[in-house]
Amino acid sequence: MSGVIDDYVAALRRELDFDPALARRLASEVEDHLQEAAEADQAWPSADAERRAVERFGLGREIAAQFAVDSVDRQARRTWVTLAVTVVVTFVAMRVRVIWLDDDVLGVAPLIDRYAFITALAVGVIAWFAFRRSLTALAICLGGLAASIGAGIVRVDLFANGAPIHVLLPAAGEIALLGVLSFHVIGLGRRLRRTALLRKPELRRTAQ
Amino acid sequence: MLGMEAEMLKGHLDAIVLAALEAGPAHGYAIIETIKQRSAGTFDLPEGTVYPALHRLEQAGLLSSAWTPPPNGRRRRVYSLTRAGSAALGQRRRAWGRFSQAVDTALAGGRG
Repeated sequence: MSGVIDDYVAALRRELDFDPALARRLASEVEDHLQEAAEADQAWPSADAERRAVERFGLGREIAAQFAVDSVDRQARRTWVTLAVTVVVTFVAMRVRVIWLDDDVLGVAPLIDRYAFITALAVGVIAWFAFRRSLTALAICLGGLAASIGAGIVRVDLFANGAPIHVLLPAAGEIALLGVLSFHVIGLGRRLRRTALLRKPELRRTAQ
Repeated sequence: MLGMEAEMLKGHLDAIVLAALEAGPAHGYAIIETIKQRSAGTFDLPEGTVYPALHRLEQAGLLSSAWTPPPNGRRRRVYSLTRAGSAALGQRRRAWGRFSQAVDTALAGGRG
């Protein structure tokens, strides 16, 4: 082997770095494909046979760009599902806290708790209908929920106040979900950036 | 292949890939060869284009795949139509039949 296929597969793997599992799987598949295509060439074994197989396969960047677009869609779906579950669990945790507290505490924390949640919910609903791939909208939802959850916990001094298990469990759930949501939002941001970079040459060519 | 034909093909690539797997499970290279043969060379997209379609269809549950050791010792990822994939292929065939008939009629104009 001349290494033409190896170089191509290594480059494709780098282009797919936004999804390491996909990169590993596709590298094996593409290597097998190119090997078979090169072996079917009359000039096999030679660098020319490998080069022709690679040329017929297409530009790694363009193939990676197609995967990146699909990957953004999948990640956006995961993020929205997590956001919806986080909103529900946060609402339940909020209600359980208020019932347990049975007291209207005055101050900034209850206001943040309520209005940050309402902001996150409103932005989430609008973004679902109008900007489903918007990282900014999802980041605002994440920030709103984080502020609401933080303020809610401060509001009742939850972990120092000897709260019962039925109050602590939803609180632990909302904190865990906030972590998962952050992870998904960051993942979506990475994929959106990578997609934009991979598609840039295409956009430039289209504009010419 | 002309630019317009390539763009038209991209819109129907998923259905063409499903149809290529109707006869039985196959790996990426064999699927592309089937598509080329059936179209008598008209569908000559870059071979790599088929892989995003395969992965997309698998994510949608229309295909399943597994690594299998072939006789020559190299591992291959082999794709098969799922039941949902067969149903989707049938639907796309019917939709294409209606669409192509409508386009034929519209293009024929007053010549019929």
